[in-house]
Amino acid sequence: MSRNPIIRLDRVSKDYTEGAETRRVLHEASASFAEGEVVAIQGRSGSGKSTLLNLVAGIDSPTTGEVWVAGTCINRLSPADRTLFRRDHLGFVFQFFNLIPTLRVLENVQLPAELRGRSPGEAAERARTLLGEVGLAGRESSFPDRLSGGEQQRVAIARALVQDPRILLADEPTGNLDDITGEGVMDLLERLTRGAGRTLVLVTHSLQVASRADRVHTIEDGRVVPLPGPRGRTELTQVPP
Amino acid sequence: MTRSLLLTGLRDLVRRPLHSGLMVLGVALGVAVVVAIDLANTSALRGFARSTEAITGRATHQVVGGPSGLAQDVLRRIRIEGGLRASAPVVEGYVTALDLDRQPLRVLGLDVLSEGPFRAHLGGRSLADPGFERLFVDEAAVFVGAALADRYGLSLGRPLRVRVQDRVETLTVRGIIRSADAREAASLDGLLFMDVGRAQRLLKMGDRITRVDLVASDDEAERIAALLPAGVRLVSAREQAETVAQLTEAFQLNLTALSLLALVVGMFLIYNTVMFSVVQRRAVLGTLRLLGVTGEQVFALVLLETATASALGVLLGVGLGWVLGQEAVRLVTRTINDLYYVLSVTGAPLTAASVGKGVALGLGAGVLAAVAPALEAARVEPVEALRPSRLESRARRVVPGVALGGALLAVAGGILMMLAGRSLALSFAGLFAIVLGLALVAPLATVASMAVAGPIGGRLVGTLGRLAARTVTRSVSRTGVAIAALAVAVSVTIGVGLMIESFRSTVENWLDLSLRADVFISAPSPGGTRRTPVVSPDIPQRVVAVPGVEDVETFRRVRVASPLGEVQLAVADPRRPRSAAFYRFAEGEPDEVWERVRAGAVLVSEPFAFRHRLPEAGGTVQLQTDRGLRSFPVAGVFYDYATESGLVLLSSNVYERFWDDRAISSLGVYVAPGHAIEEVVADLRAALAGTALQVTPNRALRAGALEVFDRTFAVTQALRLLAVIVAFIGVWSALMALQVERTRELATLEVLGLGPRQMWGLTLLETGLMGTVAGLLALPLGWLLAVILVTVINVRSFGWTMRLEADPWLFVQALAVSVVAAALASVYPLIRLRRRSLAAALRSE
Ligand SMILES: Nc1ncnc2c1ncn2[C@@H]1O[C@H](COP(=O)(O)OP(=O)(O)OP(=O)(O)O)[C@@H](O)[C@H]1O
Ligand SMILES: [Mg+2]
Repeated sequence: MSRNPIIRLDRVSKDYTEGAETRRVLHEASASFAEGEVVAIQGRSGSGKSTLLNLVAGIDSPTTGEVWVAGTCINRLSPADRTLFRRDHLGFVFQFFNLIPTLRVLENVQLPAELRGRSPGEAAERARTLLGEVGLAGRESSFPDRLSGGEQQRVAIARALVQDPRILLADEPTGNLDDITGEGVMDLLERLTRGAGRTLVLVTHSLQVASRADRVHTIEDGRVVPLPGPRGRTELTQVPP
Repeated sequence: MTRSLLLTGLRDLVRRPLHSGLMVLGVALGVAVVVAIDLANTSALRGFARSTEAITGRATHQVVGGPSGLAQDVLRRIRIEGGLRASAPVVEGYVTALDLDRQPLRVLGLDVLSEGPFRAHLGGRSLADPGFERLFVDEAAVFVGAALADRYGLSLGRPLRVRVQDRVETLTVRGIIRSADAREAASLDGLLFMDVGRAQRLLKMGDRITRVDLVASDDEAERIAALLPAGVRLVSAREQAETVAQLTEAFQLNLTALSLLALVVGMFLIYNTVMFSVVQRRAVLGTLRLLGVTGEQVFALVLLETATASALGVLLGVGLGWVLGQEAVRLVTRTINDLYYVLSVTGAPLTAASVGKGVALGLGAGVLAAVAPALEAARVEPVEALRPSRLESRARRVVPGVALGGALLAVAGGILMMLAGRSLALSFAGLFAIVLGLALVAPLATVASMAVAGPIGGRLVGTLGRLAARTVTRSVSRTGVAIAALAVAVSVTIGVGLMIESFRSTVENWLDLSLRADVFISAPSPGGTRRTPVVSPDIPQRVVAVPGVEDVETFRRVRVASPLGEVQLAVADPRRPRSAAFYRFAEGEPDEVWERVRAGAVLVSEPFAFRHRLPEAGGTVQLQTDRGLRSFPVAGVFYDYATESGLVLLSSNVYERFWDDRAISSLGVYVAPGHAIEEVVADLRAALAGTALQVTPNRALRAGALEVFDRTFAVTQALRLLAVIVAFIGVWSALMALQVERTRELATLEVLGLGPRQMWGLTLLETGLMGTVAGLLALPLGWLLAVILVTVINVRSFGWTMRLEADPWLFVQALAVSVVAAALASVYPLIRLRRRSLAAALRSE
């Protein structure tokens, strides 16, 4: 644990109010994830896994506490700045892929790069390379509804990586796929993060998926609790390049 | 339908107040416009009916003469030779009540002793009853109706300043006539009752009377008719009343057509909101189907919801229409007073007929607009609950068919219009078919333009450009319809705008031609062109004596009877021939034509030739002269935009040969070279001090005429604006729908790094594209509309031809209006977008 954490939650609470009722989902949860780590988050349905990931992504803000990502306290940013921050530092993979149905595969992937200010030509170039890396060369001009679930998720991964983020967040990336396809998607995710020194935080129900992580946390009673690593490592022993 | 299913539908209306609200608003606005215009029209018509009722009373027939009225002797003949006691002399004229908002009032001079059988509106009493002797208290005594008295707080003994022809006189209120019957009371409004002898003196009629009212059987009438001298005729009272109402028929039909258009645009709005609710509830509907609800039940459910919302809209619309109707009736009455007739209408009470029309049209339009979406809903298969894009792809498949149907409808409309002949109602039906038909082509045009705009957008702004174009295409069932509504509204703006512009510039041109003198002198007319007051005979000498006056022309405007009905005569000074541009058709050189006019031929105005179907050459006009019925050859047709009912122009030497009337209506003064017009005007005013005559320089008269013109189109302009507002709401609701539908997509984009500015950019790009397509469609459609309005509708309504002027600025404006309207419509949806939570948006399905 020699390096600074790239993600740090400092006594984060999150309440949801519905009418007169307030429900506390996270309760002074604290955690920190180091750069280059692959972290899996587990927990029962409704325990707050997605909530946690959303807080890290700046999609949601905590009721109290602080969320630090890459040296920035993102809950102090304005919503607009949060979007810009996310654009520069984070990639996000959804359970239901969330591809834009009216954009072709290539366009789906190149769009975030364009949003970051790259020229369409450059963005397309990079998108093509990434699509090759995820094994979808030749499908560039298909519309998403022509792809299988696994293919769609691979497009979504390429899309999340096109802006070359330091951190990749994935909310049940294999939750909607069969085991074998999910395995393939995990292979891909691991290769593209570990290989590039990125941090990957993924939410998963699957023990098989969690077993590939460097560390596993669960959420219990609103707190983030580390579990002994499935590979017997609770500490980082491998230093990625 | 089961109760619980019904409740599901109704609860849904309540749960989505924004969309239900839009649906209600669409119906309400459409209904309001229809009701308002209908109220204005029926109030005006009722005004006509009442005013003729008040004038004719219970008379069955009237004996009328030429412009100079009747000699007293006619009455003697009717009574003694004809033996008809039920006959009463009447003197009628107009004055302007200077202190009562300058409103025109009709003076009715009645003979107390012979009035008995005639006028019911004196509270059922005869003028000879006790109390009416006050009418003889003094020379200036008048009776007024209670409504007028109450409105202006007139009490007995109160002086009433009026302008009579070229003088100002003070009358005194000596009686206020109350009637328990509301209808009767209303018919008294706008009338001043006087003794017949006093009215003769007030109106400077000498011992002549305007007419004799009779209560006679057909046999008696025939007998009387045989006794009358040349130039004096017997007419039935009903006939007289009908001609008056016919005058404004075309004008009112035009307004009705425009108001229906607002309803049609409102229908687009309803369609859009219902379609949206179907798209959005696809999952719910699919689940309902899964639970065993039949397609027919779903269809009925959607229609029922729309009918409920429409009913609410109708309720609101009738109320709003009543409020708008008060203003509309003011505008319509003013125009009628400007152009046609003296009419006193105060307020527009809600009538069952107007409400009925509003209710029927509102509910009908609402349900009709919901049929297509309801059919879509009925076709939702249980499995489709899970397949989001099905409905839209089906909508896209029907786009070409809809366009083909629209094209056919437009062609049918064109054919109908060609076959309509002179029928204005059929012409309007054709016009509606063309507009609606072309509107149905809008979705196809949308898809086609987006296919072009996508790659261009891609080249210019990258993937976001493509995304914008494809989003518009994807939701074509709503974007296409919003574009159609906007295109129709904007094209109406262009079409009506071009028509008014063309009309105005034609009128301006024509004013240059017809107002040739430098200064005009006339007594202000109390009621538009219909009744022209008289200028005292000594005025021309006084005018010539003013330094700087080179020449004076006299004009006379009168109405005479003819087999074609009442005809307006313009009697002109024969000395100055008209230029070639004055004539629409004429045989030979302008000077030759004028020579023929001097020799006894007449010229007729274009609307006159149109109304009476005169041939371009070789026609004749029969006129009732003081020497009996005479036939006059028509030497040519001239442009005239002053009266819609038409005008016959003859030379004063000819007029004086056939009529005894020597009165003057107005003077035209030519200023000698080297004299400033302003100075001559000032001198003329000084010379005519003490009279009520107005001295108006040419330029001011022109400006005044154009002001009347603009007033005439005030209602039209207001309706035009309203159509755009309704369309704007349509676009707005479509955008709201788009945003709601794309909640998750937009949230995803935001997670991917779409910044706030890019979000605005994307939305504005989408709406800009929609606005541009609408604007581009509106340009040709608007031009077509203008051509039809100018060359078909106007000619068939009024007989006026005009040059169509294409002001390019109007097209630019229309395009800008479309784009700006669309862009503005996106502001609220964007703000709403900012308020929603990103996390919640991602969770939405
Ligand atoms: N916008 C919201 N409003 C109210 N409650 C919410 C909201 N978002 C989440 N919740 C609640 O917070 C709790 C945690 O939700 P979250 O989605 O984080 O669970 P999760 O651990 O991801 O569950 P799953 O494994 O089913 O995805 C749940 O009880 C959920 O109902
Ligand atoms: Mg979750």
